[in-house]
Amino acid sequence: MDKQMELLQGTLDMLILKAVSLGPLHGYGVLLRIQQISKDRLEIQQGSLYPALYRLEHQGWITSEWGESENKRKAKYYRLTAAGKRKLQTEAEKWNRMADVIAGILGANPEEA
Amino acid sequence: MESEMDAELHFHIETLAQDLVRQGVSSEEAFRRARLEFGALEQAKAECREARGVNFLDELLQDLRYGWRVLRKAPAFALVAVLTLALGIGANTAIFSVVNAVLLRPLAVSDPVRLVYLQEEWRDMFPGFAVGNFAEVKKQNASFADLCASHNGGFNLETQDVPERVDGEYVTSSYFSTFGLRPIAGRVFTPDEDQPGHPRVALVSERLWRTRLRADLSIVGRQIRINGVPTTIVGVMPKSFDPLLSNTALWIPAAFTPAEIVDFDNHYLNVVGRLRPGISLTQAQSELRVIAERLAVEHPIDNKDRGFQARSLTTALLGDQRLSLRMILAAVGFLLLIVCANIANLQLARARTRQKEIALRAALGASPNRIVRQLLAENVVLGLAGGVVGVLFAYWAVDWIVAHGPAEMPRLDQSRLDASTLVFASAIALLSSFLFGLAPAVRSGSAKLSEVFKSASVAVAGSRDRFRSFLVVAEVALALVLMACAGLLIRSALFVSHVDPGFDTSNVIVGRVGLAGPDYRDPAVGRQTFERMIAAAAALPGVESAAVVSRAPLAGLGNSNGLLAEGAAFDPSNLVDARLQIVSPSYLSTARLQLKLGRDFTPQDTRERVLVTIINETLARAMWPGENPIGKRFACCESGPKGRLDPVWHEVVGVVGDVRAWGLDHDVKPEFYIPIAQMPPSAWDWIGRTMDLEVRTRASAAPVRELQSMVASIAPAVPIYHLSTMQQKISGTLERSHFDTYLLALFAGSALLLSSLGVYGVLSYMVAQRTRDIGIRIALGASRAQIIKDVLAFGMSLAGIGLVLGVSGALAATRLLASLLYGVRPADIITFLSVSLILLAVALIASYLPARRATRVDPIVALRYE
Repeated sequence: MDKQMELLQGTLDMLILKAVSLGPLHGYGVLLRIQQISKDRLEIQQGSLYPALYRLEHQGWITSEWGESENKRKAKYYRLTAAGKRKLQTEAEKWNRMADVIAGILGANPEEA
Repeated sequence: MESEMDAELHFHIETLAQDLVRQGVSSEEAFRRARLEFGALEQAKAECREARGVNFLDELLQDLRYGWRVLRKAPAFALVAVLTLALGIGANTAIFSVVNAVLLRPLAVSDPVRLVYLQEEWRDMFPGFAVGNFAEVKKQNASFADLCASHNGGFNLETQDVPERVDGEYVTSSYFSTFGLRPIAGRVFTPDEDQPGHPRVALVSERLWRTRLRADLSIVGRQIRINGVPTTIVGVMPKSFDPLLSNTALWIPAAFTPAEIVDFDNHYLNVVGRLRPGISLTQAQSELRVIAERLAVEHPIDNKDRGFQARSLTTALLGDQRLSLRMILAAVGFLLLIVCANIANLQLARARTRQKEIALRAALGASPNRIVRQLLAENVVLGLAGGVVGVLFAYWAVDWIVAHGPAEMPRLDQSRLDASTLVFASAIALLSSFLFGLAPAVRSGSAKLSEVFKSASVAVAGSRDRFRSFLVVAEVALALVLMACAGLLIRSALFVSHVDPGFDTSNVIVGRVGLAGPDYRDPAVGRQTFERMIAAAAALPGVESAAVVSRAPLAGLGNSNGLLAEGAAFDPSNLVDARLQIVSPSYLSTARLQLKLGRDFTPQDTRERVLVTIINETLARAMWPGENPIGKRFACCESGPKGRLDPVWHEVVGVVGDVRAWGLDHDVKPEFYIPIAQMPPSAWDWIGRTMDLEVRTRASAAPVRELQSMVASIAPAVPIYHLSTMQQKISGTLERSHFDTYLLALFAGSALLLSSLGVYGVLSYMVAQRTRDIGIRIALGASRAQIIKDVLAFGMSLAGIGLVLGVSGALAATRLLASLLYGVRPADIITFLSVSLILLAVALIASYLPARRATRVDPIVALRYE
């Protein structure tokens, strides 16, 4: 359990966009995909997944349709929209810049200060 | 949407559980863990809804359902609120239906905005047009695309066994094109038919065609006898075509004779013009001024100082109705405001007891916005319920108004609840929901949670009590304005009922007889026929005496003439305008007019003798102030053999007391009487060959049937109509003001009741809130009288402030009533004092009940409360 990390505030949306950018997924699938990519190092509150999905859909970044799941049940599949694709791109760039800056600050040596 | 969300979340949990089972967990345990891992399902759903940006309509419906539940849990409050609201909305809707029918609905003619009503203007009087002036204006003007003239007439119709009298109009052939409507069958008049000597033709109204002519289309082209003349029906005009609102059943060509075309002396035509496109009313008025000046030069005797006045047709026809309808509309508006204030007050009181419920909702996460919305929705439910009941109430009220409203109010019978009144009702229902719901809602929404829980049962929110007091003050003020207006109208009605009509109105029965038709063209034949009727009527059992008069008192209208006193220079400015009455010698004694000076007419006053006249006191004062008029002479009504300026003198032989001929609440005008045997020949046509037969009976029983058969036996095919007792005619003229008074008194009474409920509510609530304070004071030795005094003082101070505001409002409002009042000034002290006293007395009672309850507070119980 201790190797799992709590998700940083505001990053869940980005991860969902990334997850569905690889192909249509139902809610549970999004969860599995993120855990799989992160090699089980990220814990996602299952209860907070769906509000995030609905919010993203309301904002028009993902869209949904009902389909059949691998176990032959009706499930709602989410896919990325064009707007969502752009959003993911800008969010990813922003995140990378921010990560660089933070890494730079944390990696600073005392002599250089 | 909701079920999709459910399905999706359950899919998630089940799939998760299946995965767990695959990992070797028992299925029961797997489900338990899956649920646990997922977290609170309901909360997730709520968050999802929020995230989705829930449909506004969904939430509104939810709020409305919630409001409905809340109201069902408070049935007493809901009932009182819905009923008072229904009263307010119903009264407003009913009155609006009437205003809509009478004032707002456009006239049933094409493009009524461009129609203009023309009158002559002479010495602040507005008589009809003389035919000569109409012909000249029609010839000379460039402002009107069409100009038509008409005058009213009565027609004896012989379509059934009993001859019938209907109202109709003589019209020029341009009449129908001016109003722009086509007949539903047949055609309108040709200009040829509008020439003298052409065989008689007529157009009939849809109503006459339906009720008297069996709605038979083949009637077009056939003949019926109208006024004894065979008349060809050429067309049927559409339903509701009655452009001058004169209850017209048929139209006959005016067919002015060459002599009439140059007559500038008889002013009786209704003239209506349709403005040319691009011409404004002001432009038309200035052109009319130029024409009037030219005509004044060409015809100085008749047209000196005579102008033409042009008004929009709608104003001319409906202007009189505006004041009283607006007054009543304002009154119901006030009533609705009072109702709203009352419900707002009740809601504020409930808001206090519901504070904890609301605080709890807030604590559970409802946003202030949502709470305000919910409270508003509750009020909307209340408003809509009130609206529905109110519309039912209005439905009944409109029927009542149409049945009992003043008969002379045009188009009143067209009042009904239709789409526009229903829209109006819904609009005011919603508006009032917001009015009475917003204040409590906003206050509740902004209430601080901590404060609510802290305050427990101790009254803290002083500001809210101030607001409730303010509402009560406003209610009292509005009620006082209504009461003052109603009070003035009531006092005015009392004054009118004590006015001396100037003659003995008991046991008098009057009916009109029109001797139309070629048989009676000769005035002598007409006079002889009437004399035979008088003799026959006087011989009926129970009849004391009988007489004819051209217009019996209170019959309205009549003819007026300019009189020139002997010795005054012949100049139009020396003319005294007086109303002509042609009477049989028995009239003064039958009507019991008071002969003040001189003698009565006798059968010997004939054309061969000296022409005599009897004048009323007002005319005597106007013509010969301070002198004895007996033996003096004036010229009028006809000209001698030497032409228009050759005077024909009438010698005054008597003076009679004034008669309130126009209605008890109207001023007396100068009047003069001429015996029928000396009637100027042209006067036979002035009076439309129609006279009132007036019969005085010994007992109050009216010999209606006997009079009808007597008239029919003497003049076949001639009906006697408008047959009623003088007392009925008097109440008929007062119908209108009584109607206004009754309605306003009703609204004022309701307003008084509602505002006293307001006072009662606020004080009861205050006493309930201060139980502890009062208990302490009693425990400390305050006397019950002291407690009563304090509560009463608060109640009376609310009423007092409302009273002062109301009186100042009423002083402004009643000034607008001035023209509806008789014998009372708008600022009548007695009225203001009495309504103030009534209001204070009622407020005192409303305050006393809670005050007495305050003295019953048991200090022990009150203190244990905490």
